[in-house]
Amino acid sequence: METEPKRKPWKNWLLFFATMVIVFLLGLLASSITQRKAESEYVYKPKVKLDEYEPRNSLWGENFPREYQSYLQTADTSFASKYNGNMFIDMLERDPRMVVLWAGYAFSKDYSQSRGHYYAITDIRNTLRTGAPKGPEDGPQPNTCWTCKSPDVPRLMEKLRPIDFYKGKWASRGNEIVNYIGCADCHDPTTMDLRITRPALIEAFKAMGKDISKATHQEMRSLVCAQCHVEYYFDKHKPGAPDVAYLTFPWKYGTSADSALKYYNEIGFSDFTHQLSKAPLLKAQHPDYEIYLTGIHADRGVACADCHMPYIKEGGQKFTSHKITSPLANITNTCQVCHRESEESLRENVYERQDKVRQICDLAETELVKAHLEAKAAWDAGANEKEMEEGLNHIRNAQWYWDYSAASHGASFHSPIEVSRIIGLAINEAKEARIDLTRILFRYGKNSEISFPDIATKEKAQKFIGLQMEQLNNEKQEFLKKIVPAWDQKAKERENQWYKPENENH
Amino acid sequence: MKNFFRKFIPPEKWLKPVIVLLGIFFGLAAYAIYISRAPSYLSDKPETCINCHVMNPQFYDWAHSSHRQFTTCNDCHVPHGNMLRKYLFKAKDGLRHASIFTFRAEPQVIFIREGRKAVQANCIRCHEKTVGTAFIYMVQPNFHNYLKERTCLDCHRETPHKRVNGLSSAPNALVKTKIESRTERDEGEEEETGRGQHPVKKQQ
Repeated sequence: METEPKRKPWKNWLLFFATMVIVFLLGLLASSITQRKAESEYVYKPKVKLDEYEPRNSLWGENFPREYQSYLQTADTSFASKYNGNMFIDMLERDPRMVVLWAGYAFSKDYSQSRGHYYAITDIRNTLRTGAPKGPEDGPQPNTCWTCKSPDVPRLMEKLRPIDFYKGKWASRGNEIVNYIGCADCHDPTTMDLRITRPALIEAFKAMGKDISKATHQEMRSLVCAQCHVEYYFDKHKPGAPDVAYLTFPWKYGTSADSALKYYNEIGFSDFTHQLSKAPLLKAQHPDYEIYLTGIHADRGVACADCHMPYIKEGGQKFTSHKITSPLANITNTCQVCHRESEESLRENVYERQDKVRQICDLAETELVKAHLEAKAAWDAGANEKEMEEGLNHIRNAQWYWDYSAASHGASFHSPIEVSRIIGLAINEAKEARIDLTRILFRYGKNSEISFPDIATKEKAQKFIGLQMEQLNNEKQEFLKKIVPAWDQKAKERENQWYKPENENH
Repeated sequence: MKNFFRKFIPPEKWLKPVIVLLGIFFGLAAYAIYISRAPSYLSDKPETCINCHVMNPQFYDWAHSSHRQFTTCNDCHVPHGNMLRKYLFKAKDGLRHASIFTFRAEPQVIFIREGRKAVQANCIRCHEKTVGTAFIYMVQPNFHNYLKERTCLDCHRETPHKRVNGLSSAPNALVKTKIESRTERDEGEEEETGRGQHPVKKQQ
C-alpha cells in the first residue's frame, strides 16, 4: 500500500465522475438507438390485419389509402395517346385485317385494347373470347384464363396446387374470382415487399436455370409485372394431368421471339390451325416484359414501375402512384425525372418511333393477309399437303413475328430496334411464303392475281370468314344477364363471412 | 510513458472489481457499436444512411431519381479526393448526427447546413463539363469562385431529392432488406457489367 504513488483525492473523484459521465452517455446513446429502432418498426402501423392472400383490395386500402386511391384511378379511361392510352378501343374495328389473320381463332371475334387493371374482371366477362357458358362445365376456355385477372387466384392457389387450379372450365370458378387485379397480386401483406404470386414465372425462371428469389428489389419492380405481361401458352402434356391447360412461358431457350419460336417448333406446338390457309399458327400473347428487356431503358436499369408508376407528391406526402398507365399521361413525373427535354419533344420522340414501326407493321400485315388468301387459293386449286408444307411454315413464322410485335403493348417504344428487326423477319417470311405459293398456283395453272375480298370494316371481315356475330353477341348478353349476377351473389355471400374492418364507411 | 500508465494500475485488492467494471464499460461500448451498426458507416452503401429512419424520405427520393443510377449518398454528401478528409468529415458529421439524435433535437424538416459546401464541390466534380462552357473557362478559368454564395442547389432544388417536406413526408417508404441486395450487386459486378445493367438480361 505504501509503495503506491500518492494521488490527490480530487483526482480520484474526477476520474470517477468522468467515467460515470461517459458510461452514462454511452448508455443514453445505446438506449436511444434501441428506442429509435423500435420506433421505426411502428412507423407503419396497420389499421387492418391482412391475411396472406387477402383478395379484397379495399381492405388493403384501409392501410394504404393513398396508394389505393391512386390504384382506383386505373378506372380512368379518358387518356388517349396517338395509338393507345387507357380508353376502350376496338382493335378489330381499327384494323379489320386482323380478323382475317386470326380466322379460326377466338381473337377474330373480339379483340380490344386493354383498359386499366380495374376492369380486369369486367372485361374478361364481357369479351366474346370467353364465350357464353350456360353452366359451370360449359364454354370454350379453361380456368387457366383467370390466372392473371385477380388476387383471388393466389388465394385459391394457396389451397389448390396450380395444376388443380387450372383444371376445369372457365365458368366453374366464376363465383370464386371476382376481385379485379390488386394489392395481393404483387405485395406481401406484412412487409409490403414485392412478391411473385404466379407459379408460371417462377417455373419459367427455373427453365432458364435461374432463381427468381435471387432477384433484387429493382428487378422485382419489373418482375411483378412479368407475372402476366409476357408471352405464354397452355401446356396440355403435363405428366399426371392430361388435358389440363397448364400455364407455361416458352423461355427455355431465352426470352426473345426467336428462342420462343425455336421452343414451340421443338415441342411441335400450335395454338390453332388457320381457317383459310390451314397453317398451324402460334398466337403471340403480350410479350411486354420480353421486348422491354431488349430496350435501352431496361439496359440502363429502369424498371417498369419507374415509368408506369411514378413517384408523386400529394400535398406534403410522397408515394408511388399506383395509377398504372401510359407514361405519356404524366411526362413530368416519368420521362422528365431523367430527360431534361420539353414535354412536347419527349412526346414527339415517342410518336416518331411508334409511327415508323407502325409503317412497317402495316406492310407485314398486308403481306400476311395476302399469303393466307393465296394459300387458300392453292388448296382450292388442288395442291397437296406436301407441296404446301414449306409455304405454310413460312406463314407460321411470319405470323408469329408479326403478332409478337403487334401484341406487345408499347413495344415500338420499349424497344424500337428489336421490334423493327422482328417485323423485318415477318415481312421476309411472308414474302417467302408468297413466292412459294405463287409457284404452286402457277403449277396448277393459276397465273393471274388472286382477287382479294373487301375487308374494309370489322363487319365485312367477320362476314367474310363466316362468323355469326349476332348470335355470339346475343349469347353473350344472355350469359351476362343470367350467369354473372349469380356469380357475384355467391361471392358476396362468401366474403360477408370473412373478417370485416370495424369502420364500415370505406 | 510507462510510469504514466502505471498510475492507472489499481492496488492489488482493487484489481478484480476494476477488471469487472472495465469489462462492463467495454461491453457497453461494444453493445453500442453493435446496435448502431457502426461498422456500416465505414462503407459507401446508401442503405447505411437509413439506419435511422428519419432519412427515409431522402433515401426514397434518391431511389426514384435519375441520380440513383450513378451516385450513392456519399458521392455527393462527403468530400472526395482525400481519404483522410473524407473520413474526418464522416466522423465529424456522424458524431453531430448521433448527438442530435440522442437528445431528440432533430427538426421536423431537415435542411442541409455545413454539408452544403461538400455537396456543391461534388456537383462541380461530376458536372464540370456542363457548368462551364469552354468560353467561360477561356476568359475566366476561375469562374467558380464568382458564384460566391450561390450554389447549384439554390436553383436545382428538386435534384436529386424532390422537395423534402418533413420527417413524415414518405410514410409508406418501408425500409426493407431486399433493397440492400441492389447495392451489393452494383459493387460486386460493377467491373463486369457496369452500373445499372439489367442482370436478368445480362445472363441471357
